[in-house]
Amino acid sequence: MTTLNDYLIASGLLFSIGLFGVMFRRNIIVIFMCLEMMLNAANLSLVAFSRFNTSAGLPDYNGQMLVFFIITVAAAEVAVGLAIIIAMFRSRRTVDVDEISSMKG
Amino acid sequence: MTSTYASIILLFPLFSAAAILLGLKKKANISALVATGSALLTLVLSVLVLNAKEWSSVTLLQWSKVGGLELGIDLKIDQLSSGMMLVVTGVGALVHLFSLIYMKKDAGKARFFAGLSLFMFSMTGIVYSANLAMMFIFWELVGVSSYILIGHWFEKNSAADAAKKAFLTNRIGDFGFMIGILLLWAATREISFDGLSNAVAAGNMAPGLLAAATLCIFCGTVGKSAQFPLHVWLPDAMEGPTPVSALIHAATMVAAGVYMLVRVSFLIEASGWAADVIAWIGGISALLAALMATQQNDIKRVLAYSTLSQLGYMVMACGLLASEAGMFHLFTHAWFKAGLFLGSGAIIYACHHEQDIWKMGGLKDKMPVTFATFGLCTAALIAVPFTSGWWSKEAILEAAYKNDGLLFPIAAGTALLTAFYMTRLFVVVFFGKGRDSHVAGHAHEVPMLMRAPLIILAVLAVLAGFALIAGPVLGDEYAKYSQFHFSVPAIVSILTLALGVGLGLKLYAGRDREPVNIKLFANKFYFDELYAKIVKLCQDSVAAVARVLDGLLIDGVGVGGTRGFANMTGNALRRIQSGNLQGYACLFGAGVLVIVLLALL
Amino acid sequence: MPAYYLEIAVVVLGLVLLLVEAFTPPQHKRRIGWAALAGIAATFLLLLTVKSHCGCDSPMWQFYDDSSLSLFFKGLALLCTAFVLMLGLEYLPVLEKYSARAGGGPATGEFFALPVLICAGLMWMASAIDITTIFLSLELTTIGFYIMVAYMRRNVGSLEAGVKYLILGALSTGILVYGLSWLFGATGQTGLDAIRTALPSAARGPALFAFALILIALCFKIAAVPFHFWVPDVYQGAPTPVTAFLSVGSKAAGFLVAIRLMEPFLAVESLRTTCIAILVAVACATLILGNLAAIPQGNFKRLLAYSSISHAGFLLLALASDRHTGELTSTRIIAFYLSAYLCMTLLAFAVLIIINKSTGSDELKAFDGLHRRNPFLGFATLIAAASLAGVPLTAGFLGKFFVFIAAAGAQQWLAIGIAVAGAAAGFYYYFKVIRHVYWNTAPEGAAAIPVSPVAKSLLIILIAATLVLGVYPQLILGLL
Repeated sequence: MTTLNDYLIASGLLFSIGLFGVMFRRNIIVIFMCLEMMLNAANLSLVAFSRFNTSAGLPDYNGQMLVFFIITVAAAEVAVGLAIIIAMFRSRRTVDVDEISSMKG
Repeated sequence: MTSTYASIILLFPLFSAAAILLGLKKKANISALVATGSALLTLVLSVLVLNAKEWSSVTLLQWSKVGGLELGIDLKIDQLSSGMMLVVTGVGALVHLFSLIYMKKDAGKARFFAGLSLFMFSMTGIVYSANLAMMFIFWELVGVSSYILIGHWFEKNSAADAAKKAFLTNRIGDFGFMIGILLLWAATREISFDGLSNAVAAGNMAPGLLAAATLCIFCGTVGKSAQFPLHVWLPDAMEGPTPVSALIHAATMVAAGVYMLVRVSFLIEASGWAADVIAWIGGISALLAALMATQQNDIKRVLAYSTLSQLGYMVMACGLLASEAGMFHLFTHAWFKAGLFLGSGAIIYACHHEQDIWKMGGLKDKMPVTFATFGLCTAALIAVPFTSGWWSKEAILEAAYKNDGLLFPIAAGTALLTAFYMTRLFVVVFFGKGRDSHVAGHAHEVPMLMRAPLIILAVLAVLAGFALIAGPVLGDEYAKYSQFHFSVPAIVSILTLALGVGLGLKLYAGRDREPVNIKLFANKFYFDELYAKIVKLCQDSVAAVARVLDGLLIDGVGVGGTRGFANMTGNALRRIQSGNLQGYACLFGAGVLVIVLLALL
Repeated sequence: MPAYYLEIAVVVLGLVLLLVEAFTPPQHKRRIGWAALAGIAATFLLLLTVKSHCGCDSPMWQFYDDSSLSLFFKGLALLCTAFVLMLGLEYLPVLEKYSARAGGGPATGEFFALPVLICAGLMWMASAIDITTIFLSLELTTIGFYIMVAYMRRNVGSLEAGVKYLILGALSTGILVYGLSWLFGATGQTGLDAIRTALPSAARGPALFAFALILIALCFKIAAVPFHFWVPDVYQGAPTPVTAFLSVGSKAAGFLVAIRLMEPFLAVESLRTTCIAILVAVACATLILGNLAAIPQGNFKRLLAYSSISHAGFLLLALASDRHTGELTSTRIIAFYLSAYLCMTLLAFAVLIIINKSTGSDELKAFDGLHRRNPFLGFATLIAAASLAGVPLTAGFLGKFFVFIAAAGAQQWLAIGIAVAGAAAGFYYYFKVIRHVYWNTAPEGAAAIPVSPVAKSLLIILIAATLVLGVYPQLILGLL
């Protein structure tokens, strides 16, 4: 029987992988995928919390409702984000974040 | 009735400044007349207020009243503020009159008079403040108007630099002041003088906290009254037009620091050792400034150091719990020092804007009125018996003598030096022969409108100390200071006077060049150089620390092989802002780890 | 009229504008801006008629709040949007240059529709009292801002700023939802009222973990150290009206959410000490870095970016000093500070846009001799800089003063020391701007700078507001 802790550890791993990916990967598309992974880590923990927090035998649906909103928002974020990245690619011809550093100081 | 007058005194200069800045800027002569008119009106009204003797408090504007914090423009009309107000408007009105001629041909005349009006408004605000918050706000405003007026001739680099120096040095003191206000508020939930006085009397504050708060408040005085170690700005402030030096940097604004100490004298009395610190800072300032004054060649700088030294006296008196004596000296000093500054203005005006005393000389015959008035004011400053300065300096020496520490010799030594350097100045400028024909040769007496203020101030310099004048202005309890009785301080003061004047005459009568040369004094004890060094040292050490930290960051994390960290070389903050998204993400992640660890550990 | 009609009105306005925009010929895009401005102004008038609900216990009120605080922040959002739209109208020439379509004319219409939709998000954020609505409204504004920041697609700086904001913004979103999931896990609730009741009995570890993650995400929104890295670059690259919107609107809403989300944690005695310590630490770091890094800046937009960071430090200090201020609660102080910040920051950005239009530069050098080239503009800069620095009789001074009062009440002496030093440094770099305006001489052949009537009225309103709030804070404090 999987316990709440198993789910939380899985979601924590997912979150960490995402965070470290954002910190250390250089391809902007990969970074973006890592960001989505972090959102999914949150979704997983939300569903787990909601499933294990039962009242009268039913899960707490508030948490699951939030999951659906997060999925929707993530879709919108990807749409806008990819559009910006494509516009960037058109002008710079690169997806390497190291080369996006003209403004500094 | 008095409260109405007081409100008008406060607001009229503001209207005048606003009218000049908004509408009359192009019509310089009308601007000058508007400002002068407002100054004269406030003088008349402050005489009326003094005469009525109806003490009251009035709230002009309530800003906010939340959580026990009542912020507002509250005017406190009592003997102290009314007396101070007479000094401010009296000197102010005379300086306005004098400036009508002195600034006649100046291109920025309208701006100058707007600045004067703004200053009068802010100074009135300080004097009438009934609470510390209002005082702080007007405190800043006088700083701003002083900044504008010192930098009046901003085309000159030295003037712009002096303005900046004055402003920045004052900020250091002001932050102490602000912290002091906050400490008092935190401890007593009061910022009005009356409320604080009651709270202190009731013993609501821990002694240590009280002393700390008093010293923080005193920081404001150190900045505004140019006490050691923040004294460096005042001599440079002489870059402003001379009437400004007379009004702001001799008679009123710099005295605001002392006035504030008198207002919070209940704090000083309760603060224990903090009072000693205040007295010592005052004593040290008085002595150091007098030493520096002996070797200055610019007529205004001699007077500037003399002002520093006299302010030191007043601060010392406040620290010795003799704030009445300090206030008395403030009152007499305002007249004779304004007279000296306006006199020097007349000399500079006559000598085609030359300020070096060694190029003057022999002005006695060419400018008899200036000579006579300058002489009387000098007599008051060096405390010739029965002049106003004598009475007030006696009061302070008396206080120092009672304290029977090292402060009495310091005060007496300062008195000796004062007599010495003023004799030097007087002899070199007025006697002997004209040393530079272009400068002193064509000198001639100044017009009537400039002479009149000089004469009035000279008369006051002699008479202001008598109970007849000091009594009604400062309060009847001041009458006791102008009664002569023999005592050790009185004898010491006459001896130092004779010694100082004799020494000055011996060394300088008939000389055309400086006979003594003490580099240390002439270079003002190298304070400016020292401060420049300290600032540089701070910058260098910050840079060094940043370099070390950077090395740690690179060596420590760079091994991890991430380019984000490796890119962060060079000096600290700007390099962290490398523009590299990867670097930002890494630091973001590091921040996440730090905060999460902070929260969980 | 119930408060939620306002958001509906604004969303409908935004959608209608988008629809109309598609059929407006390129030379008339300016009209979209005017229509948006009129709509926002009308909504602001409607806001004045809103009454708080009366005891009707529909489930609606468990996630939607219409207290005076919420209404106040709705008003702030509407005003800010209106000013930004005016700035946008002023900025149109620059925008047209950099937003050309591949084969056709400039595409500027959406530039006026998007702020309206973002405004809806900000207003909704002001009322959100459930973690679901907080998350949704926050994302509505953030995604809108992604587009706005990268709007000038022919300008490399704008695109680069867009990418940086996108990645770091999404990162903070990820952290926020993860934090919210743990808050949900620790308390089993999503409504803030229910969370406040449940939190004292929650496990300490998960609660603090949630607190840290939520704080981090909010620190990103309000530009606090060490999550401020996007601020200077994004401010510099984004179109200036968007920068102004980000720095005022986004920060104001972020702080209201911070007040709401932090409050349950600060109310629990066992968590309070840790939470306050972290808040103060972040505030101090923000004050130090924001002020120190601002000193060497020569670009006015970057200077304002660091200024925005340092103001966030002051606001955080107020947030950390709750409970010790009697009626002058930290919420009121923050509301006042943000109102003051709105006036002075928008004033500074308005001046910048006018100068940029004439000189094409955001550098401080472009301000040289402004006093002679346009005295009124010089005066506006003077007021903005004086208020940002905290000169008495300006709104900025009272804001800082209230924060000091609150912090003194909470006995945060170290933080006060740092804040005072930061304010001193602030005087230095803001007066650098004034020096450029009044002391430096204009470059050879510099022409006078024209100011359009729209811009002039905007400047006058903002100057007046800055000065009035500086002497009469009751105007704002009385509303709460």
